[in-house]
Amino acid sequence: MIEISGLGKTFIGQDGAAVRALDDVNLTVQENEFLTVLGPSGCGKTTMLKMIAGLLPWDQGEIAIGGAPVRGPGPDRSMVFQNFALLPWATVLDNVAFGLRMRGVGKKEREERSRELISLVGLSGFESKRPGELSGGMQQRVGLARALAVEPSVLLMDEPFGAVDEQTRRLLQEELLAIWEKNRLTVVFITHSMEEAVLLGDRVVLMSARPGQISEIVPVPLERPRSSDVGGVERSSDYVNITAYLWERLREMHEERSVVAGSGPSV
Amino acid sequence: MVTAARRRPAWVRALDSNLTYQIGTFVLFALGWQVYGTVWGGLLVPTFTETVEAFVELVGTREFWDAMFVSNQALVIGFALAVGIGVPVGVVLGRFRTLERYLNVYLNILLVTPMAAIIPLLVMSVGFGLLSRVILVTIFAIVMVIVNVRAGVRQVDPALIQMARSFGASEREIWMRILIPGALPSIMTGIRLGLGRAVTGMVIVELLMVSLALGNLILEYRGMFNGPALYATIAAILIEALVLISLARLLERKVAPWAPNNQKGANQR
Ligand SMILES: Nc1ncnc2c1ncn2[C@@H]1O[C@H](COP(=O)(O)OP(=O)(O)OP(=O)(O)O)[C@@H](O)[C@H]1O
Ligand SMILES: [Mg+2]
Repeated sequence: MIEISGLGKTFIGQDGAAVRALDDVNLTVQENEFLTVLGPSGCGKTTMLKMIAGLLPWDQGEIAIGGAPVRGPGPDRSMVFQNFALLPWATVLDNVAFGLRMRGVGKKEREERSRELISLVGLSGFESKRPGELSGGMQQRVGLARALAVEPSVLLMDEPFGAVDEQTRRLLQEELLAIWEKNRLTVVFITHSMEEAVLLGDRVVLMSARPGQISEIVPVPLERPRSSDVGGVERSSDYVNITAYLWERLREMHEERSVVAGSGPSV
Repeated sequence: MVTAARRRPAWVRALDSNLTYQIGTFVLFALGWQVYGTVWGGLLVPTFTETVEAFVELVGTREFWDAMFVSNQALVIGFALAVGIGVPVGVVLGRFRTLERYLNVYLNILLVTPMAAIIPLLVMSVGFGLLSRVILVTIFAIVMVIVNVRAGVRQVDPALIQMARSFGASEREIWMRILIPGALPSIMTGIRLGLGRAVTGMVIVELLMVSLALGNLILEYRGMFNGPALYATIAAILIEALVLISLARLLERKVAPWAPNNQKGANQR
């Protein structure tokens, strides 16, 4: 269980201006929950995720995982990055094994384990390729395998499928769901896509910007296991209603901002 | 299906390679030289063939190889120093920006100073020995090494460092597994460019400071108005530089084959 209470963070930009990236964020993520986070650009989604990962300090509040306060990166968490963050000089096998290596797992065991994960994400046969020889979708499969290899109980994903094409994205979503159904870990998944948030999440956290706050948490009562096949979840009225509702809310936020922005003298 | 590249006969592919073009331009250059040398050459501009003859003769002399040995002593030691000092300094400067603020001035001075101007200073303080030649070669080469290595460390994707930290990497592991490998292509480029400068330094110091070895040969042949021998000596130095740089280029591709600059078909920078 991840408990976030009263989390706040102010960045001082290079021009000296203060940006309230997060303000009084309270959130509890249940064990084995798939939580998706949605919100306008700049609302602090990445900031919050990096804090959970232990990569970024905060100013106010507390984050605890399983009752223990977060003080830095830990073996219980791993992260999948939007731009993959693969080592260009290392092979697929070494990239997947990277996390295990940092955690001191011996060569033989780590390669064995990495091979398993490579086949889990459907990349068997590509072990000795370098990232530059792979497509975007394949690269993110490597990123996913690397994160799963260390057997985290919490998987943190920052727009992991944002940089791949639509078809690949759908395939990756299905694979992720299948993996999650099997392994049941806690997932915090940031996305820009309402459809993705609803398709994947048990709940959708809707954030608003300036200051970054949680504006609403929308439960998604769709049956599991879900898939995006024809006749799958996407046809159900719940799915349609929730995505429509999220879109409405996001548009409202956008309009509020335009009103604020437009309240000055017009040029 | 057979691809077009595969169906083409070997000789066509050979014609298409870089080497063919290079040989082609060289032949043109040699022809032009020959014509110029014959028509307008006079005493100090020998023809291409005269130069080749002189070159063959030159490499047969004991004097030449002695000169090569003495000159290259300074080159080898000076270049090794430049790499040995330049790489760590570049890495540290790339990682710690504050330190760089203090040292940038000196680096810029090294970059813009005409090195020839330093030579008298060097001679006055260190004398004419091997030491001052080594120092000059080092100064010549080290700037290229430092600047390239620094740039290399700096362009390592910060997302990779963050990724490593998220998996619990220590600072040491970040250096060993992210920064150094990430900067390796630039480190190799710095070493190659530094090598070129080291050769320059080696010759200049002998021409301007201590009339010795290869530099001395050049001065001597000039004094005797021996055009062919003069040109042959210079050609020997050029050939050495080209061979060394090609070797460095080869090593660069071998060590960092993933770098875009080292991919097959990529042009030399
Ligand atoms: N290192 C930093 N220095 C200064 N300001 C920062 C820094 N990191 C983030 N910010 C600011 O904090 C706010 C939140 O940033 P964050 O990256 O968390 O947004 P986000 O919700 O992930 O946006 P996006 O959807 O575009 O990825 C933004 O206004 C951003 O400009
Ligand atoms: Mg973000």
